[in-house]
Amino acid sequence: MLDLLVIGAGLTGLTAAYTAAKSGLRVKVIAKGLGAMHWGAGTLDILGYLPGEEGAVKRPLAAISQLPDGHPYRLAGDVAGVLATFVALTEEIGLPFQREVGRRLTQINADSENLLLPSPVGAARPAFAAPVGQLGGDLSRPEPMLIVGFTGLRDFYPQLIAENLTRQGYPARAAFLPLAVVSGRRDNTAVSIARELDNPDQRQKLAQALRPLLKPGERVGLPAILGLDDHMQALADLQGLMGTAVFEIPTLPPSVPGMRLFRALEERLQRLGVRVEVGMEVTGANRGWRPETRDSQSPISNLQSPISIEWVETETSARPLKHRARAFLLATGGILGGGFESDVNGRVWEPIFNLPLTAPQKRSGWFRPAFLDPQGHPVFNGGVAVSPDFRPVDGAGRPLFANVWAAGGLLANFDPILERSLSGTAVVTGMAAAQAIVEHVKCEP
Amino acid sequence: MHTKSWHSVGPSLDACIKCNICTSYCPVTAVTDLFPGPKYVGPQAQRFRENGQPHSPDHSVDYCSGCRVCNEVCPTGVKIAELNARARAQIVAENGLPLRNRLLGRNETLGKLAQIAPRLANLSLHNPVSRVLAEKVMGIARHAPLPRFSESGTFGDWFQRTQHERLKSDKKAVYFHGCATMYYEPFVGKAAVAVLEHNGYEVIVPPQNCCGLPLLSNGEFDEAAKYHSNNVNKMRIYAQAGLDIVGTSTSCTLTLKEEAPELLDAFDEGSNQLKMATWDIFEWLRERYEAGELKTDFRRMEMVLPYHAPCQYRAHRVGKPALDILRLIPGVDVRESHARCCGIAGTYGYKAEKYQIGMDVGAELFDFVAEQGDVALTACDSETCRWQLEHGTDKPSRHPIEILAAAYGLYELNGRDVVHS
Ligand SMILES: Cc1cc2nc3c(=O)[nH]c(=O)nc-3n(C[C@H](O)[C@H](O)[C@H](O)COP(=O)(O)OP(=O)(O)OC[C@H]3O[C@@H](n4cnc5c(N)ncnc54)[C@H](O)[C@@H]3O)c2cc1C
Ligand code: SF4
Ligand code: SF4
Ligand code: SF4
Repeated sequence: MLDLLVIGAGLTGLTAAYTAAKSGLRVKVIAKGLGAMHWGAGTLDILGYLPGEEGAVKRPLAAISQLPDGHPYRLAGDVAGVLATFVALTEEIGLPFQREVGRRLTQINADSENLLLPSPVGAARPAFAAPVGQLGGDLSRPEPMLIVGFTGLRDFYPQLIAENLTRQGYPARAAFLPLAVVSGRRDNTAVSIARELDNPDQRQKLAQALRPLLKPGERVGLPAILGLDDHMQALADLQGLMGTAVFEIPTLPPSVPGMRLFRALEERLQRLGVRVEVGMEVTGANRGWRPETRDSQSPISNLQSPISIEWVETETSARPLKHRARAFLLATGGILGGGFESDVNGRVWEPIFNLPLTAPQKRSGWFRPAFLDPQGHPVFNGGVAVSPDFRPVDGAGRPLFANVWAAGGLLANFDPILERSLSGTAVVTGMAAAQAIVEHVKCEP
Repeated sequence: MHTKSWHSVGPSLDACIKCNICTSYCPVTAVTDLFPGPKYVGPQAQRFRENGQPHSPDHSVDYCSGCRVCNEVCPTGVKIAELNARARAQIVAENGLPLRNRLLGRNETLGKLAQIAPRLANLSLHNPVSRVLAEKVMGIARHAPLPRFSESGTFGDWFQRTQHERLKSDKKAVYFHGCATMYYEPFVGKAAVAVLEHNGYEVIVPPQNCCGLPLLSNGEFDEAAKYHSNNVNKMRIYAQAGLDIVGTSTSCTLTLKEEAPELLDAFDEGSNQLKMATWDIFEWLRERYEAGELKTDFRRMEMVLPYHAPCQYRAHRVGKPALDILRLIPGVDVRESHARCCGIAGTYGYKAEKYQIGMDVGAELFDFVAEQGDVALTACDSETCRWQLEHGTDKPSRHPIEILAAAYGLYELNGRDVVHS
């Protein structure tokens, strides 16, 4: 039998699966579709903003102490330690996350400051660490930037980026190349161009076309297209050919850096014997043992120890398929990842274990009037409340199940969008929950 | 003109958030400009197809292979491949169907005809002159891996002939062989019977029709509906009696479970009984294994076995049950392929204008096999995929049920026949 079934193939689910499998557990990941990693910038964002405060956070680890008590980071405890494990994982899979080009990230502490990197619209985006391909864009560096786009490539706007950066005091100018330089195709996306640049000949052609545009002392910002399977070599080749720093700026979705990370993590998991099966939607668990029926079947609700889940089931082309495991980790991503469902009246629920949610239960309460309200929007703050070891709890703080854990975007008491903490909280809570599960499984007979 | 209802897939359309993840993973878009990708031909174009729109806005949907990678990766559950299948049907309804597609859609009829003189049929189909002719006249790609008709009788002949040797038991399972096993590869059926009997099941093979999938994938819905209702009529009694119907062809079982009911709007009681009784044979064997009922008296077989799960499993949504079971055999080092598709996609890769696309799509799989070193065999559950795999790798390919039967000592993998004790 499986030790752990992870539900959800986002950053949370995959990093949790890795942690558990590394400790010797038999693990499988199932998910309805691909995770929100494919939308994100592919950087490690720990904490960019604090609720209610205007400016960006400078030292994210130090700022964690200012977060409210139930915040996922406060539950996780040793945030720096978990992050170090994640950074080591990125090195293992050949997509190292760093803070300075070429320097391994070994020190993570309260003094570490956020980087500022150019966003897809040219804003200064706080991030704690990034894949090396994005680090050349570090806005604390003095070199002016040449931002190069491709005519006909949707999803990347060099003029907008250069204008916005310059306005904020980071000198940048824009230039365009015809798409034909890198692609013979009629219809292109960032992903199809990235595949083209897996081919060394195409890198040569790109460098040749870029060279006449470049002024001495400039660094080059490109959309995130520098190879899909052979990214590190593509980056090195292009820097070598250009003789200057070349860096990637994330595009609008789908995000090539997110896709690279997903593919590399999936491959690493496969080598650990973990299967990642997508296209599987979990629809329920042990029918008749839902928490709401528990109270009516009175004897059970009085028991001290919470009940165990035996299996969850996924929908198939005919009958439901049961998945048995000793432990279950719910990493379905909440309202953004598809882990919660809602109706037109604004009722929100968690469809698998029917866990109680802290989300406001009327749609009128979902949003504050201002789109960019510094307090964020209540709907993103809601979610699954958990114990310090990441087990979903009832209103009185008691674990609802003996063998269910929850992590990632679905957790309560934080607003990942406002805080810019999406990937940080995903990694930290995923790995911390997995550690709790490892201890649990190893203690069980 | 028949218009098909969209109700079982329509609502999923509104869930599309235009993220283009589907397009990033579509294996056909990756290799050709002729296909703009799932988002465009699916949820986007669909907006112009609904509500009695007379013309489909875009015929490039014909280049969708139906592999369903898009469905699987879509974060919001849009049923893109199903939207595309319906759109293709609409185009057929408007424009009629070329003779080639009519032929490719009629496995069963061809099989019956060929069995009158299978050697002659093979000869006339497989010589270079007729292949060139078939390409010129009908657009069937000359290099595509056409199967050979069985020259030693059909599966049905064998089953009849060996009735006296067959196991009688209280435990019974119904076997759906499909056209490929019936006319081209009777040995796959023999292996299935051997495995079922070894586990104590008496095998019932009721009269049955082609499942209708080739017709469905070419958009001939009215014809497919006839086949399907025949199957319902012939097999529902077994479902009603509580027997499981197992099949070795992943596409046939998928059609009985879901494709036919959904695409044909066949939600009657009989269709539903058939759906709920039907299992892919490895899905069923895995269920037996998990209940502790599967015999595991395997003999050791030293081999590296690259295994490709066919696209239909993606639609079955049952994971990779053959992989789960093959991994139980001592000595067999099963290497799981993560290639998105072999490129043949049913009848797709047979069409002259799509043959090269199919081979380009399949390159991912052929490369994977090459990376596994000098292996003797590959395995895949779907017949057309196996033919494509053999075509693309020059290595023989087997159905996992043949491997399993061999592991029980009941089957000879090179001669492809049951062992006579
Ligand atoms: C609008 C938006 C913007 C974003 N911007 C950024 C950004 O700027 N930077 C950044 O780093 N990240 C960004 N992200 C992504 C972010 O990384 C993730 O949302 C976050 O990491 C949470 O990850 P997760 O693993 O908890 O959930 P997700 O990544 O959302 O994954 C959820 C997983 O659960 C599965 N699932 C859901 N329901 C079921 C079910 N019933 N059965 C089976 N499986 C199920 C899903 O298919 C998916 O695999 C953004 C995401 C969104 C939606
Ligand atoms: S993956 Fe799904 S949601 Fe995204 S564009 Fe494709 S169909 Fe739409
Ligand atoms: S079914 Fe396959 S070929 Fe068709 S659109 Fe989807 S991914 Fe592409
Ligand atoms: S032939 Fe096989 S791999 Fe190829 S499309 Fe079909 S099922 Fe997929």
